[in-house]
Amino acid sequence: MIAEAFQPAFWDLVAKEVSISRVSTGYVFTEGIMWHSQKRYLVWTDIIGDKILKWTPGVGTSLLMGPAGHPDGTFIDRQGRLVVAGWGSRNVWRLEDDGSTTVLATHFEGVKLNTPNDIVVKSDDSIYFTDPSNGIRHPGHQDGDIQKYLDYEGVYRLDPATRKLTLLVKGGVNPNGLCFSPDESLLYINSQRLGCIHVYDVKPDGTIANERLFAELVGTDPGGPDGMKCDVHGNVWCTGPGGVWAVDPKGNALGRIRVPEHTANFTWGGDDMKTMFFATRKTIYAATLNTAGIPLP
Amino acid sequence: MSWEFKLVAGPYESPLDGPCWDGQGLLFTQVMMPAAARENRILRYDPATGETTDFRYYTHRVMGLALSSTGTLYGCQSTSRRVIRFDADGSAWPMAHKVDGEYHNEPRDLIVDRKQRIWFSDPHAPLPGSRPQFASRVPYASILRIEAPANRDSPVQRMTFDTNAPSALTLSKDEKTLYVSENSTQPEGKRELRAYPVRADATLGVCSVLASFGSDAQGIHPGIRGMCLDRNGNIVACAGGSENGPGPMIYVFSPKGRVLGTCLVPHGEPTNCAFGDADLGTLYVTTSDGRLYRGQGATAAAHR
Repeated sequence: MIAEAFQPAFWDLVAKEVSISRVSTGYVFTEGIMWHSQKRYLVWTDIIGDKILKWTPGVGTSLLMGPAGHPDGTFIDRQGRLVVAGWGSRNVWRLEDDGSTTVLATHFEGVKLNTPNDIVVKSDDSIYFTDPSNGIRHPGHQDGDIQKYLDYEGVYRLDPATRKLTLLVKGGVNPNGLCFSPDESLLYINSQRLGCIHVYDVKPDGTIANERLFAELVGTDPGGPDGMKCDVHGNVWCTGPGGVWAVDPKGNALGRIRVPEHTANFTWGGDDMKTMFFATRKTIYAATLNTAGIPLP
Repeated sequence: MSWEFKLVAGPYESPLDGPCWDGQGLLFTQVMMPAAARENRILRYDPATGETTDFRYYTHRVMGLALSSTGTLYGCQSTSRRVIRFDADGSAWPMAHKVDGEYHNEPRDLIVDRKQRIWFSDPHAPLPGSRPQFASRVPYASILRIEAPANRDSPVQRMTFDTNAPSALTLSKDEKTLYVSENSTQPEGKRELRAYPVRADATLGVCSVLASFGSDAQGIHPGIRGMCLDRNGNIVACAGGSENGPGPMIYVFSPKGRVLGTCLVPHGEPTNCAFGDADLGTLYVTTSDGRLYRGQGATAAAHR
């Protein structure tokens, strides 16, 4: 059994007999997994393997791009383009339809970013990303400048028109995954080091306010808060000890799906958006849930 | 042989290491900063003003420092498992980091030869590495050499095959002898000052053991943590521990291993040493308890 309920309500989201299958394997550290609804394929990154991969149902896996600056989190914007948190390249960039890349942000107020980790695009095309610094310290994650310059690990909003960055959270500790609630009134940001998720109100100007602790994901199994997404009901799904946890909108942990390898990220996909794909160290896994994710673009 | 030591910087909250004369000032590293501080740093003492200033923040466990003959500064970033280059514009760059196709261990100390090759010790460090670690350590702890640091894909050669806990290293003036401190913390391990002939084909010959440090019922007698050469080619070494054995001190060994003299530092255990000042006649010593000493009075001085 891979599903483990903490609350009976978990069984509304996941069938008790749910099973997990292997989609693709042979990587070093997979991350940034997203389902492209228009093009009907799965995309993910291999940070240390330094590439972006693509899997099409019935077709298989192929290389989308590599080397790719040791990419981490990804998202798909409304135009169907992949936007990437450039962990090793220390920037935020976009993969264009013709295969070229566009760098969107490298510095904040003239100071080089740390290592952008995860990224989301709001429906108004503004881009939100986290910028912890631990990527600078890991061997094999960097080919370029490994000096840390910023005195904090921020969360930023990138304005789509001006490409100007606004610092949203300055005092964070190792901010990692982030996602909006389905109506985009809330922004969730997690900290792997603290093992918790914070929630903020999103203001009309795109900035955020009223930080409060949303949930703590504590356990002895490997893994912690990293990749995070909401389902269509507003439940917050987040990697945590042992796999991927479901937390209801009030912050109650409902249960978790146990994944055979340390899981850094996940996404929903498939035509009904009910297949959850898991990005682990070496392998991409899949499991079919009862609850659906929010399709993108 | 003795120096008169004067405390010129510190005490800081954590051990110092990596003393390196940059031509006008003495660079040194503070390896473990208190929580919430700027994650380790390099400091610089200027003997002209007597002031110590921050030279570089966020160095993340850089231990040994070395300046090449062309003026390039390198450091051993221990738990990030790489040798890095510090550029004058404030940036820092990783050097080639794979030996035999695998990530090397946690570099400790280094020296750059006249061909600009970087020799460094690569022990298994006692401190935990930056996590997550995806690559296991290599199954040996050797002196390694980066052949062409300017090339990110430079070969990294394994130079020693008989070391288990290499610590300090330095080259003779003619670069025909590599001095290595094997410094095991295990009672059954070895703590030796070794001289390896550098052969014409740039491999190392069989080493001579110049000195060894023992153990007793109380535990080991710590060996050499840091060393440099004086103008006459003698080896000035920081060794010994406070707990037992002969005690912490500076040793001066002749190239044949004769003890020419010893000298105590006023406080703490000496961790590493380097000659500095305009005449390279002053011995700077870093200590385990966060002190930088400036020693004057002895006749011998560095050649580099």
